[in-house]
Amino acid sequence: MKQGTRTRSDMKPTKGGLVEVAFDPITRIVGNLGIYTKIDFANKQVAECRSTSSIFRGYSVFMKGKDPRDAHFITSRICGICGDNHATCSIYAQNMAYGIKPPPLAEWIINLGEAAEYMFDHTLFQDNLVFVDFCERMVAETNPGLLATAKTTEAPRGSLHGFKTIADIMTAFNPFEGSVYKQALEMSRITREMCCLMEGRHVHPSTLYPGGVGTVATPQVFTDYLVRLTRCLDFVKRAVAMNDDIFDFFLEALPGYDQVGRRRTLLGCWSAFQDPNVCDYDYRHMSEWGRAAFVTPGIVVDGRLLTTDLVDINLGMRILLGSSYYDDWVNDETFVRQDPLGNPVDQRHPWNQTTLPHPQKRDLDGGNYSWVMSPRWLHPETGEHLALDTGGGPLARLWATALAGEVDTPYVRSTGHSVQIDLPKTPGMPEVNLEWRPPQYANTIERDRARAYFIAYAAGMALFFAEKALDEVRAGRTKVFTDFEVPEEAIGAGFHEAVRGVLSHHLVIRDHKIANYHPYPPTPWNASPRDSYGTPGPYEDAVQEMPLFEENGPDDFKGIDIMRTVRSFDPCLPCGVHMYVGGGRTIERRHSPMFGEQGA
Amino acid sequence: MIKVGKPDVSPDKPSHTRGVPEGNGTGNYEKQPGHLPDGRSTQRRSTGINPSHREPILDSMPNLSPA
Repeated sequence: MKQGTRTRSDMKPTKGGLVEVAFDPITRIVGNLGIYTKIDFANKQVAECRSTSSIFRGYSVFMKGKDPRDAHFITSRICGICGDNHATCSIYAQNMAYGIKPPPLAEWIINLGEAAEYMFDHTLFQDNLVFVDFCERMVAETNPGLLATAKTTEAPRGSLHGFKTIADIMTAFNPFEGSVYKQALEMSRITREMCCLMEGRHVHPSTLYPGGVGTVATPQVFTDYLVRLTRCLDFVKRAVAMNDDIFDFFLEALPGYDQVGRRRTLLGCWSAFQDPNVCDYDYRHMSEWGRAAFVTPGIVVDGRLLTTDLVDINLGMRILLGSSYYDDWVNDETFVRQDPLGNPVDQRHPWNQTTLPHPQKRDLDGGNYSWVMSPRWLHPETGEHLALDTGGGPLARLWATALAGEVDTPYVRSTGHSVQIDLPKTPGMPEVNLEWRPPQYANTIERDRARAYFIAYAAGMALFFAEKALDEVRAGRTKVFTDFEVPEEAIGAGFHEAVRGVLSHHLVIRDHKIANYHPYPPTPWNASPRDSYGTPGPYEDAVQEMPLFEENGPDDFKGIDIMRTVRSFDPCLPCGVHMYVGGGRTIERRHSPMFGEQGA
Repeated sequence: MIKVGKPDVSPDKPSHTRGVPEGNGTGNYEKQPGHLPDGRSTQRRSTGINPSHREPILDSMPNLSPA
């Protein structure tokens, strides 16, 4: 989409004036995320940012009236990369609505599938998409001075990952040519196979159902999984060391880079990996089984863990408008007045939301400019509507889990102030003991670094789940499904972690059919526009007032620091970036994963 | 509201037809051969041809049926 840009006279004048720079579309939410910025080149910082989406999909509209048993198959199609997260979350919501608890083996199988998905998606995104922003060819174009330093900087963990200098690592990131890029593609194939073994298909699972799974749990299926997992572990161990080296280098070589993409620590995690010994999907016990999950739910505000209670998390959810193309639903039907514990449920809660689309022209100057709504979480003490982000997923998951001190498994433990991950000896690598500690700031680099650690976390958990599943099989407990009847009236809520962050599905059943259904994936939280209180969404907040370290001026500006920030939240690599600088002059650059292969 | 075309099917058309058994229906587990009430299974789950010949040779062994 082409957007004209002119130097705006009504803006605060600076030496060079503000220049509007538009990045649209940035893909991954079906190709329609746009970042509209105003850059202050004189002071090398972003003056203003708006995040917009020009696509409307309407799952909450067309789910109404459908058979609730179809919900996970349909909502899986929301996403082409984390569809199994949606299927799983929908199944959690349905289990609650139908009042059923799947057999333990089924839960371990779902956990194994989801662990493989985290390993797959994070590896693919980090190594094949994020690292294009950190690769030698990109850095040579945007920060040649930094590349010169990288060439003379020895990689501190070189003995683990095998690269001598930081520049060697950057060269290995080069798309299509670099060894890391190519290896990551191979890894993503193996991890997808792992997911398919458990969930039948990737990315839209065919063997996950409410009540259990259709996977036939033979010993072979788990050994096939373990063989692949062991191969991945070699790669994961090297990857964490390599990630630490590259990100430490950026922080040391560019003093102040820790302010890039920094925003107040406002993180949300909705839990992942249910523990079948505790979880019964009964809302009345949700606080207990939520805390027992192998990724602890939590809300972290300014480095402090506010709650780990899924009931609090659920009741505090508010869907605000303000800059979105929708009409308000306050006068529409209230589906759920009280939760099963008797707590009042707000009209702005997803259970009571009615989606009323109101298409209109985009107005970036004080009007409505996005199809994304503004999900917020109501702080029970201060009454603030917090614009939580997910830190790309891993940052929030690790932070909440680290502070909660609930997780204690043989390979992964939470200490109350950190997460320890022990990965056993594998064919190519010795045993590795990792520890992730909450960083000083929630910024671009730390969001990216956490992703590498969470791959290790998921791998460690997968080992544990495979052992638990094999225990069940060896004891002969092969049942993987519970039968059920669809109730005439029921409500359900599923809380899960999509790869890139919080995921919830809220379901209301009436007359055996879906009366209301609202999935809230991570992107509405992260990409939300300014809400009715004027609070900017996380992308906007993180990019706004951000310092720029790119060495290029307005003429050949690539916006690399902005791109790194937006991508640190794990949306997608822009397949086309159109940028306009100055009065009527157009610069058009196309970036793609084919970088270097296609040319500009 | 957004204007859309006339749907080909009624959006609330029931996916279930009366009289046809549902896969998730209660009692299905018990009806399937080879599945024991305690969650274990026998070789009858995998084959109907001389399943008793394919049981584990010791009582202490789990019954690991093939796919």
